Amino acid sequence: MTWAVEATGLKKTYPSKDGEVEAVRGVDLQVRTGEVFGFLGPNGAGKSTTVRMLTTLLTITAGTATVAGVDVAREPDAVRRKIGVALQEAGLDDRQTGRELLTLQARLFGSSPSQAKELAQKQLELVDLLEAGDRVIKGYSGGMKRRLDLATALVHEPEVLFLDEPTTGLDPASRLTVWDEVRRINARGTTVFLTTQYLEEADQLCDRLAIIDGGRIVLEGTPADLKADLRSRRGGEPTLDDVFLDATGRTRTRVAGQVEEVQA
Amino acid sequence: MKQTLILTGRALREARRTPEALAPTLLIPLFFLVVNVGQAGKIFPGKSTPFLHGQGYAGFQLPSSLLVAGSFGSAALFLVEDIEKGYFDRLRAAPVSRVALVMSRLLAESVKSLVLTAVMIAISLLLGVRIATGVGGFLLLLVLTSAWAVVFAGFMQLIALKTRSSAATQSGGLIFFPLLFLTPSFAPRAMLTHPMEVAASCNPVTYIMEGMRALVLGGGDWGRVGLAFAVVAAAGAVMLLLNVRLVKRFD
Repeated sequence: MTWAVEATGLKKTYPSKDGEVEAVRGVDLQVRTGEVFGFLGPNGAGKSTTVRMLTTLLTITAGTATVAGVDVAREPDAVRRKIGVALQEAGLDDRQTGRELLTLQARLFGSSPSQAKELAQKQLELVDLLEAGDRVIKGYSGGMKRRLDLATALVHEPEVLFLDEPTTGLDPASRLTVWDEVRRINARGTTVFLTTQYLEEADQLCDRLAIIDGGRIVLEGTPADLKADLRSRRGGEPTLDDVFLDATGRTRTRVAGQVEEVQA
Repeated sequence: MKQTLILTGRALREARRTPEALAPTLLIPLFFLVVNVGQAGKIFPGKSTPFLHGQGYAGFQLPSSLLVAGSFGSAALFLVEDIEKGYFDRLRAAPVSRVALVMSRLLAESVKSLVLTAVMIAISLLLGVRIATGVGGFLLLLVLTSAWAVVFAGFMQLIALKTRSSAATQSGGLIFFPLLFLTPSFAPRAMLTHPMEVAASCNPVTYIMEGMRALVLGGGDWGRVGLAFAVVAAAGAVMLLLNVRLVKRFD
């Protein structure tokens, strides 16, 4: 089986004053073609670092990774042709219009000027930005920017789409719109690799998920299996929140304690 | 090359949409020209000052102002903005040649500089300056100024790529002061004090300035023009090489 994403012993270390900091300490991952894969973890667990390595934005210190069957370290340009990337902060150029941004992106992926125009038009329609398409992005709302960011990641019809916290900072309505977009994108066959801090989001969208903590994968499976496993160990009706807290060794009391500390 | 041109087009569109960033790059050099001529013009009267070759002092000062105009490094400021806002990562995640990422900004800088230099020279003509070497000299002056703008923007892009901070990049631009003032900016090198003459002789910008002056004031000193082009070409090659090296290592 060819995996959409496969990582073995993936490591990233950064030099620091006291030697080296290990941000990712040997991640093994296998994402099936066509699934929505959730990548969860607390702040600083190594989620974004892993995504940045898989999307060729960061060099890999050790281990190997392939995306859509292509080795990330050996053939980064070939990987870039097969992936779409929407990172935590919408990577947009405020001074361009939505249409210009999409056209430029399509041109950079090799489309002719007329093809690029068509692709931009299609994406603007799909993410419901046709009316705003000829306005500069500076005036877009947060939700519009996020939708345009998604459209930009999709303009060249990638095989694998990486979404790093796609709904962070969005209002509930915009979040639901992004969820619908993710389902639509996945329904047409695109594999989605999604990081999120919202467990409800993972529960709603993901076929399978992995939880990373301290730079290592601590749990992997379908949301249903993970909840069933915790139910068999602890009883009750565990939510994905409970699974997450159990896997990362955090407790509600400890989290509540941290909140109180901040308030004091 | 295609990708470089596509991204250059985007950078020029960006420049057109930010006239507030372009205006100072024209107004400040003009301010320097007017003020410097006002301060030292009477000390060096055109008729009795041999190094002016019959022109007014404004002709001597025009190259300094053109170099100021080429020392804003706006390409680097736009680049660091892309880095800070995450758009640079979007470009890096696309199959775009790393060379195109830095070259496009420098190419756009050269186009902006060509236009601004042409406007600056047109205004200086109204102040009585004449380009003694004619249309050919005018064109060479455009190219030389624009090449200097690329070198300076290239230097600032190095800071942008290394620090990823707009504050640091802007501070890096302050190197403009020693580079442009440790030169024979008010009088020829031979008339400077000895320490100043040594400092100016060690400064590559001196040779570009002197080449520009040979084009504006004439006097048939084509050797200086050739040296100016050689200096700017060498500095440009070094900057481009370092830019490519840094962008390829950008992690």
